[in-house]
Amino acid sequence: MKKNKIVLTTSLIFTLLLIPRTVYAMHIAEGFLPMKWAGFWTVLAVPFLIISVKKVNNILKDENPGIKMLLALAGAFIFVLSSLKLPSLTGSCSHATGIGLGAILFGPWPMVLLGTIVLIFQAILLAHGGITTLGANLFAMAVVGSFVAHFMFKLSRKVGTPVWFSVFLAASLSDFFTYITTAGQLAAAFPESSGFMAALFKFLSVFAFTQLPLAIVEGLLTVLVFNIIQEYSKNELDELSIISRRKRHELS
Amino acid sequence: MIDIDQYAYNNNFSSFHPLEKSFFALFTILITLTANSFMTSIIVIAVISLMLITAAGIPFKFYLKLLFIPLSFLIIASITAVVSFSRELNNYFFYFELGGWFFGLESKSLNTAVLLFLKSFASICCLYFLTLTTPVLEIISVLRKFKLPEIVIELMMLIYRFIFVLLDTADLIRTSQLSRLGYSSIKKSFFSIAKLISNLFIRAYYRAQGLLTALVARGYDGKIRVLERKYSFSYKNIMIIILFETFLIIISIFGGGNFV
Repeated sequence: MKKNKIVLTTSLIFTLLLIPRTVYAMHIAEGFLPMKWAGFWTVLAVPFLIISVKKVNNILKDENPGIKMLLALAGAFIFVLSSLKLPSLTGSCSHATGIGLGAILFGPWPMVLLGTIVLIFQAILLAHGGITTLGANLFAMAVVGSFVAHFMFKLSRKVGTPVWFSVFLAASLSDFFTYITTAGQLAAAFPESSGFMAALFKFLSVFAFTQLPLAIVEGLLTVLVFNIIQEYSKNELDELSIISRRKRHELS
Repeated sequence: MIDIDQYAYNNNFSSFHPLEKSFFALFTILITLTANSFMTSIIVIAVISLMLITAAGIPFKFYLKLLFIPLSFLIIASITAVVSFSRELNNYFFYFELGGWFFGLESKSLNTAVLLFLKSFASICCLYFLTLTTPVLEIISVLRKFKLPEIVIELMMLIYRFIFVLLDTADLIRTSQLSRLGYSSIKKSFFSIAKLISNLFIRAYYRAQGLLTALVARGYDGKIRVLERKYSFSYKNIMIIILFETFLIIISIFGGGNFV
């Protein structure tokens, strides 16, 4: 019994040491997925990217080409947002994804393209994520993340919840579903002997320590940011609805 | 400000053709991932790291620091991938008990975990080879050669430029907030960072407007045309790359590769 306790404490200490000081949203590292799964997720993500490029091209054609600058700055804004250190509840410093805020401000389709470019730059400049796993990360963050944020925001506005609560739901659930999708991707690639569901349970529980607090922090923060933007820059929000195709009353 | 970017412009390989470097990095990743062998992964890690430190002139300490970034994800994820749990005690060589369940590692699965880790680590080294020796603009020019849609290329170029502008702004705001004790408690940090982000958003917005005005004043028609630097292929480099990749393939075939 005593020996068991020692083993348990040492393994607990070991786990605590392993919990990273800096928490990013779950980027699957370069080369971690086997070739066939990397290919599978890329094939799944590419159609979304193609539609996104088409939609962005349409926006540029319909409106003025100046929207391009705005889109580019939006992309850079999301990259910088994801590189800022957030205050954290657990002692490790965490980083937001910015996908939720982006999807609310700029709409889900432009966010797929912007999110892709941000992910490429995170791999190249910050060494988070990778090239072969770009498809998987792209699907979990840019596709699932933006659409969950968009639909949650729309749905809860329709139900009639206040804007701040809709923003909170959109941002934190976007992070939450990204976490679930990534865990699913890892479980599908490594079911090992115990099968997909057991593997999913393992990955979900291991990454819950870092990802659940992150989702809540990002949700709270997005509310604060959105409130300030709404208070001081109503006109700009109105103009952004050109990109996001959002109705004006949804945002106020 | 971003260290990787700085070294990408300042290394001994920066004059080589970006296509050579991208091909080298990507093909090596491809072989490492398909070969699925200990030997190949270790050779790739050793060769690439040596090349970066001795030939390309990347400081060892900085390279080591970079390798630590993905380490925690790699260790956690590769162990999680192979841990098995059950009600009864299997032939685990290491285990612990939690609420009536046994979590443990079999020696066979430890093998899998190490291989998973090494493979991923080797491909990360290859990725670092590309990013530490090739500036972003050159990587974008390679993407342009592969006929990506024009809008993607253009947005990438603009975003790359704006990242530094916005990072600079964020840094300034953060410094001034720090000097006013803006991050002295959790609650204050929340409000400070929210103000920082919203201010950054507004500034980004006005920057976009200002930039557009400046461009239109200079005859902007929706396209930004830039000159690309000319690089020439070097037969010596191409020979080295082909030799290394063939060597790697042969090693993988005869050195216990499983090929998945």
